[in-house]
Amino acid sequence: MSTIGKQVRKVDGVELVTGRAKFAGDYRFPGMVYGSVKRAGVPAGRVSEIDIEKAQQIHGVLRVLTAKDIPGPNLIGVLPPFDQPLLAADEVRYAGESVALVIAETAEVARRAVEAISLTIEPIEPILTMDGALAPDARKIHENGNITLSKKLIKGDVEAAFREAEVIVEGTYETSFQDHGYLEPETVCAVPGRRFTLYASCQSPFHIRGHVAANLGVPASSVKVVQACTGGSFGGKDDVATEIGSLACIAAQQLNRPVMIAHERKESILGSNLRHAARIEIKTGAMKDGTLVARSVRILLDGGAYASESPFVTMKTLIHAAGPYVIENVEVQSTSVFTNKTYCGAFRGFGVPQVTFASESQIDELAKKLKMDRLEIRRLNGLKAGVANATGQIYEQSVGLLETIERIAERGAAQGTTAPGSGQTTEPRPESPEPADRGRYLYGTGYASVAQGISNGAEGVDVTGASVQMSQDGSVLVGIGLTELGQGSRTVWAQIASEVLGVALETVSVRLVDTDAVHDSGPTVASRSTTVGGMAVYKAATEVKQSLLSMAGLMFETEPENIELRDGFAILKMDDSARIPIPTVATAAYWTGFPLMNLAFSKAPDANFDDATHQGDIYIAYNYGTHRMDVRVDRMTGEVTVLSHQAAHDVGRVINPLGLEGQVDGASLMGFGLAHMEKIRYADGIIQNPNFADYALPSIKDRIPTETIAVEDPNPTGPFGAKGAGEPPVAASAAVFANAIADAVGVRFTKLPITREDIVEALKGGNRG
Amino acid sequence: MEYLRPSSVDEAVGLLDSSRGMVLAGGTDACVYMAEGICSPETIIDIGHLDALRGIEIASSERVELIRIGACTTIAEVAASPVLPASLRQGAQAVGSPQIRNLGTIGGNVCNASPCGDTLTPLLTLDASFVLRSAQGTRAVQSREFFTGPKQTLLQPDEILKFIEIPLPACTWTSAFRMIGNRKGQAISQVNAAAGFCINDGVVSKVRVAVGSVAPVPLRLEALEQSLEGRGIDEINLEAIQELVLEGIRPIDDVRSTATYRQDVTVALVFDCLMACANQATEAAGIEGASS
Amino acid sequence: MRIQFTCNGKRVQLDAEPDARVIDLLREELGLTGTKEGCGRGECGACTILLDGKPVNACLLLAGKIIDREIQTIEGVAGADGGLHPIQEAFLDTGAVQCGFCTPGMILSTKALLEENARPEIAEIEEALSGNLCRCTGYGKIVDGVQEASRRMSAGDTGTNGEVAA
Repeated sequence: MSTIGKQVRKVDGVELVTGRAKFAGDYRFPGMVYGSVKRAGVPAGRVSEIDIEKAQQIHGVLRVLTAKDIPGPNLIGVLPPFDQPLLAADEVRYAGESVALVIAETAEVARRAVEAISLTIEPIEPILTMDGALAPDARKIHENGNITLSKKLIKGDVEAAFREAEVIVEGTYETSFQDHGYLEPETVCAVPGRRFTLYASCQSPFHIRGHVAANLGVPASSVKVVQACTGGSFGGKDDVATEIGSLACIAAQQLNRPVMIAHERKESILGSNLRHAARIEIKTGAMKDGTLVARSVRILLDGGAYASESPFVTMKTLIHAAGPYVIENVEVQSTSVFTNKTYCGAFRGFGVPQVTFASESQIDELAKKLKMDRLEIRRLNGLKAGVANATGQIYEQSVGLLETIERIAERGAAQGTTAPGSGQTTEPRPESPEPADRGRYLYGTGYASVAQGISNGAEGVDVTGASVQMSQDGSVLVGIGLTELGQGSRTVWAQIASEVLGVALETVSVRLVDTDAVHDSGPTVASRSTTVGGMAVYKAATEVKQSLLSMAGLMFETEPENIELRDGFAILKMDDSARIPIPTVATAAYWTGFPLMNLAFSKAPDANFDDATHQGDIYIAYNYGTHRMDVRVDRMTGEVTVLSHQAAHDVGRVINPLGLEGQVDGASLMGFGLAHMEKIRYADGIIQNPNFADYALPSIKDRIPTETIAVEDPNPTGPFGAKGAGEPPVAASAAVFANAIADAVGVRFTKLPITREDIVEALKGGNRG
Repeated sequence: MEYLRPSSVDEAVGLLDSSRGMVLAGGTDACVYMAEGICSPETIIDIGHLDALRGIEIASSERVELIRIGACTTIAEVAASPVLPASLRQGAQAVGSPQIRNLGTIGGNVCNASPCGDTLTPLLTLDASFVLRSAQGTRAVQSREFFTGPKQTLLQPDEILKFIEIPLPACTWTSAFRMIGNRKGQAISQVNAAAGFCINDGVVSKVRVAVGSVAPVPLRLEALEQSLEGRGIDEINLEAIQELVLEGIRPIDDVRSTATYRQDVTVALVFDCLMACANQATEAAGIEGASS
Repeated sequence: MRIQFTCNGKRVQLDAEPDARVIDLLREELGLTGTKEGCGRGECGACTILLDGKPVNACLLLAGKIIDREIQTIEGVAGADGGLHPIQEAFLDTGAVQCGFCTPGMILSTKALLEENARPEIAEIEEALSGNLCRCTGYGKIVDGVQEASRRMSAGDTGTNGEVAA
């Protein structure tokens, strides 16, 4: 391989390190004006008056829009029927909800004008807990009630299996809301014209286009969405980009001027989607030898005020609640619920971190009860090729879970203290001078395993379209409707095209995502960019390759099968010295009339499952992983130092090693944040910590020394055998932290985040755990 | 808004007298308040560039040797100064981030008077006094009296903080500062503590202990200080201090932490500070002529 | 009010409102959009610039404070001919860049660090970058990038900008 598996630079890296890359907030257009949103300020209520008079009088204010100014349906959402207004009309359902939009000459004036709007909202008693939402006499937040979706997964007969089980463990686990915390807050810039152009920090440009067009009351083809360089998304810039994108376009249409809306950090936290909080009741039955025979799970997801991605998160939790294990009898019920809080949606992991925490905590509890080695119980029950998983799906290949367990076991045996960040064993970090230990510290080790389905699975059609175009000079342009968000996908696609066509990576460009010029490929989610997206690039490149081989065949006077493309040449397989430079072949192909551009589709197999039992084939592939974490806990302060962290993942095939490690590092720290540091604090339905001072996003000093161990069990449905890896480490890292702390402290914590406060309380013999 | 840039301290206090504007040192707190809409001053008087208000020197006043810190000395400069006691350097180092420390000033940290201000607890233990200047003249206020409530001080609207003066102890002084926040980098203190004492022949004297973020103002723990006064260094242990620490503090639950946790951690941090001082003193005693 | 200062080696004069923040002067008046706003409160470091060589948050810097002083933004790091600084090269080679939004601030904090301390320990790197948040990388490769830059600069590597670095 020339580029696959090689250490390469990001193809878009130079513009990022020089500051030249244009993020949505960097665009400047003549006459551009700024929008800022007035938010409800109360978690539930009926809007009786929106007094904009004072706001309109402020010098520099151009327009104040409310719900009645929306030309289209004033609704967005993910799954129809859409339930989320762009601007609230009669009712507000969460404190961060948008009620009015001010457009002004400067952002500062727009914000001042927002302060000058006075809202008269008759407060309604807010529903702030899931139990409150499910109470029989509960007020309905939405017309159809307070349940977004409730579904079951049924496999085998859990009742019978629990009766046979020799050991049973039960527990209830909870997780908190988490904020995406991308460094770039949500930003859009709408430019009116014969056709509308919206520059957006986003991950689902076609989804935005559809909603913008509908709400503007124009055909979708008259709207162009350009994905600006996006400063992180992790699932957070789906809904919100659609919301502010639509609002900006509507304002731009009315004023006939470009409109920028850039969220402040506070708005990003309280006005845009969060990770679902969860409560998970889980019961597992096993035989004395450790074989798992039954699992039953009831999951409640707090989805906040609007549906967003809740139905899909619900379904994903159903499928993943059994963990990466062979369990013959599984019953899961998962329900997402409305409450009067900030709505919850897609966030890297998408329900899997929540259930993995519960599942892996319980596996450890079982191991403890059975006095069994924690890796051994995972090994004994781990999924393998040819064996059915919780939905009854069987994969004949690429089920690398057991190998990830072995690699973790090996590393454990050779454990030394690693220097964070380098993945190599070097001198230990210098310790800050501490008083003599005297039992001050507790030490613990944790393990966790995870399986995460790759790509959309049951969430709907899973298609991507990619185009590959070769120029006469042999350089290549790739186009695809999926978005680079920092995860390195653009580089992976370029590598695939470069490998297939035998040209240097430096000659491959990946175009900006512009809905005019690329095929609707659905959202960039679910770790699908490499697998499904990469396959589309692979196919499109292969078609172009066929043209070159056909042309080279004419030039060599032989069959195309006898030629390969490598190192910038078309080379005769049986005579390495017989070679023609690819640019020469490409030019000849043009003049001869062979197509040098191709659009190809990659479609994941349709999910095919029974709706009542969720049994059937769902995912194109799964990524499997096992983590190990060693921690040191300060008894007196509860401070935790992660001494080492290994993350072994079966990724099918490593296309970009640096990119993969970066993804595992970032995802692991995000899981660590979920498990230890980050907590959205609500009081009476209002978020109390919508800033980076009081919401503890990890700093560089909080980083964990993650070491990525890549396992390659090739996936026949991915390009060169690859599978996505962006999400699974979040779940495994959160779960492994909880298990390591339980080991160190001797107490099982059942709520995330496990904070220093919780640890100190537990050590005092308080009522935690 | 008017931005005034006086070229001397006299001019500054004169402008302040007539305009009662907002005094700007580094701006790291002021800019946040303005961005949040907490204050919108009509006049800003920038004193951050005045050389007379910057620098750290050893000086004498009424035959007492003291360290004099200009109020507009940046927090980074304070953290790096070899002349200053360890606890003050460590406290300064704990403020915010490198970016905040390069712009923010110790005078700003003092006048902002947040109960969790990381330079405040060390200053209390160093018997610091604050030299205040107005058009009418100069006065000095002891740090122990200066802070009157959360973000409230005895500084009058027509006064600027000119110097912070720390009397040089006439003995071998060791000191330490510890804090804990909601993350390891760029964290606001949930609790902080500073301690220091003189050591002579294994006996401690002039014990000073202060804690922050566990009361409306940073606090000296005087009962604890008195109980440790004159004791041997090896008598300093957790049992000796625990009750007295808890007695002196009134922590609350807030968005940053809980009262219970603050109680537990204050004991830990005070203990760590005292042990750090003890270790330094023991090491210094073992090496002739070592400076603390 | 009229202010004058040096930006990326060039003398600049412009009119600024008294309460203007330097981040806005850079992004709006001077068209230097490489300095990013992540929080507007000095809590994330995305707006880090160098003021007389020291990293500060441009969102907390009022216009009057840069009078007659030198600032450097990310646009001034690469050479005039576009050649990259060793820090920029190192960040690219170690995978220290993902979405790139925190990157300008990280590079400037790194530059200030390496100009003062050519061979920093890991703890010193962490301290110097403790005011720069990143959500994508988990920081591991950023530390690698700083160490690599330090190695190259100590070995006399001047990047591709032809100027002597540090």
